[in-house]
Amino acid sequence: MNGTTAALYTFFVETLPYITILVFLVGMFLRVTRWSSAPKDHQNPKMDLVDSIKYVILDVMLFRKTFRRDKLTWLLVFAFHGSIGGILFGHMRGFHLWSASIFDPFGHWMTEFMIHTLPIYVGYTLIITTFLLLVRRFRLEDKQLSSLSNDYIALILLLIAAIVGQGMRLFPPESVPTEIYNVVFIPRLIVLHLEVVPSYHWFHWHVLMTQLFVMYTPFSKYIHILTGVITPAIYGSRRKELGI
Amino acid sequence: MASNIQEKAKKALGEFTKRQLMELDTCSHCALCTDMCPAYNESKNVLHAPGVRTSKLVKLYDKKHGFWTKLFGEKEITEKEIEELAESTYHCSLCGRCMESCPFGFQTHELWIKAREIVDSLEASPENVIRLAGLMDENMNPYGLEPDTRLDWSFFTDLDDAPELDEAEIAYFVGCTTAYKGANHDVAFAICSLLENQGENWTLLGEDEWCCGAPSVMSGKTEEAKKYAEHNVELFESKKIKRVITGCAGCYRMLKFEYPVMLGRKPNFEVMHAVQYLHEQLTTGRLEVEQGKEKIIYHDPCELGRLGGIIKEPREVLAKITSELIEFDEHGVDSKCCGGGGLLQSVNNDMRLNIVKEKLDEAVEKGAEMLVSACPACKLAFVDGVREFKHDIEIYDIHELIAKRLGVSD
Ligand code: SF4
Ligand code: SF4
Repeated sequence: MNGTTAALYTFFVETLPYITILVFLVGMFLRVTRWSSAPKDHQNPKMDLVDSIKYVILDVMLFRKTFRRDKLTWLLVFAFHGSIGGILFGHMRGFHLWSASIFDPFGHWMTEFMIHTLPIYVGYTLIITTFLLLVRRFRLEDKQLSSLSNDYIALILLLIAAIVGQGMRLFPPESVPTEIYNVVFIPRLIVLHLEVVPSYHWFHWHVLMTQLFVMYTPFSKYIHILTGVITPAIYGSRRKELGI
Repeated sequence: MASNIQEKAKKALGEFTKRQLMELDTCSHCALCTDMCPAYNESKNVLHAPGVRTSKLVKLYDKKHGFWTKLFGEKEITEKEIEELAESTYHCSLCGRCMESCPFGFQTHELWIKAREIVDSLEASPENVIRLAGLMDENMNPYGLEPDTRLDWSFFTDLDDAPELDEAEIAYFVGCTTAYKGANHDVAFAICSLLENQGENWTLLGEDEWCCGAPSVMSGKTEEAKKYAEHNVELFESKKIKRVITGCAGCYRMLKFEYPVMLGRKPNFEVMHAVQYLHEQLTTGRLEVEQGKEKIIYHDPCELGRLGGIIKEPREVLAKITSELIEFDEHGVDSKCCGGGGLLQSVNNDMRLNIVKEKLDEAVEKGAEMLVSACPACKLAFVDGVREFKHDIEIYDIHELIAKRLGVSD
């Protein structure tokens, strides 16, 4: 690591995460204040846990309503969200939330496939579907939808983060593989354990984009990642109350 | 633009509830709901798409209450924005179909009513909607007819003696569209005849019956609707009514779901749609009908099915009178609107008729001899559609059909 790379590494990996967390928390505080200062709802169904979970799974995770009407759009949105889910899950291994050994019962081949081969395809899927969603948005603009600027910014940010993330996988690392390489974002709290030393060009961009994504969440449409489970839960409970 | 309008807009926008604001913030402007919207599909006007309405609303909200207004001040809402919001908000039949296609399941019906409240506070409601509000004020009904003519429908039917009792077990709440629209007089007569046939202790409210208040809610005057709720509930309770029965899907929703919210308490009576009553009578063996073979197609009124939860009862009732009950491709919670709701008729009747045409086309294509619904507004839309487009199909309300089959009405 030369001097510039080391300085960038220090900034992106050791300084920026604190700023990211701060911006995220302030943003969430503002967002929650915005909602909580609004008048109370007059009519809210009695929450029914089973039905709420059922509709979150069916409607948000599986996009059942879209599936029933338009299979092609369903494939696009499902593949997009599915690939994000897959990538997030994959990253959790780096943060030691699970280990590759969970695939051991299915054999060595399966473990190899799940942790080395599949993620590459999932990465491509995310890039392609994000791009297609951008094209779709652009094509439907002023015909079926009217985007806010953050609808585009959010997709573009995600697309860049996905491309540079994929770049890290595809381009050979600068150093020889090591047993384990630790990226300490926040000591003892957020530590990423990598199997190879990454290419710093891609890595810095990826880390920057990802953190921008986190910072942008409370201020943008990304907020639906968090609220998207609340509204269908209310919808599910309401259906239950109506008996349908 | 006048600063008092800006102030009014700020106040009205600030009345989005916590859930509604969360829904507006959650909307991804993905247009997954657009295909399902009957109004958009009819006009292809981007302003009529539900997801566009949410973008417009959130933009306006942010101009007055957004994060940055605290730092940089509020922004002015322009004439154009107000016009677009009014155009968008009133080109909607309030059918709630967008809720059924939105992955997040937003309670769009309530959201669009709130949007109409905002349009009202901006003094931008369409002319006919403003006129309707005036008629409501004067006559307690949206048709501008004298309250003392509310029972006139009974003169046109064979109802000899319309009961108006001081106390009764059951009250039949006729509703304005049934009482004042000729096409629905037989519906009122059929329901009265059924109650009579079943030996119920029942009453009408006569000229004391006021509109349920739904037109006020739909014109963004929810506060004013409260006076209708208070009057009607007081009337029912003074007559010691135990069960209120109505044949109108819109009245049913108001009485059952909106009144308790408006009044902040549960009234002392049960609310039933007449089709539930029929269902109860038929399934408990207190009423029997002969099954025929007519090819009948059932249309779910939006306020009864998707928004009211009554989906299986009308089907079970119809299955008793025909062995040939057929369905629209999209039915139940997915049912396509007939265009008869949301005051669409007074804002854009051509759009309403073109929406109803689609339903009629499908019914005829499927070979239905009769199209049956359970709401006077739907019946009216279908009758107008058949008259306009000359479809060869009979239009009935479910209560009329049953009464006819029983021989208690013509
Ligand atoms: S309620 Fe019905 S008409 Fe109105 S926006 Fe939703 S789908 Fe369209
Ligand atoms: S489907 Fe839901 S999230 Fe998408 S535009 Fe419509 S209302 Fe918004």
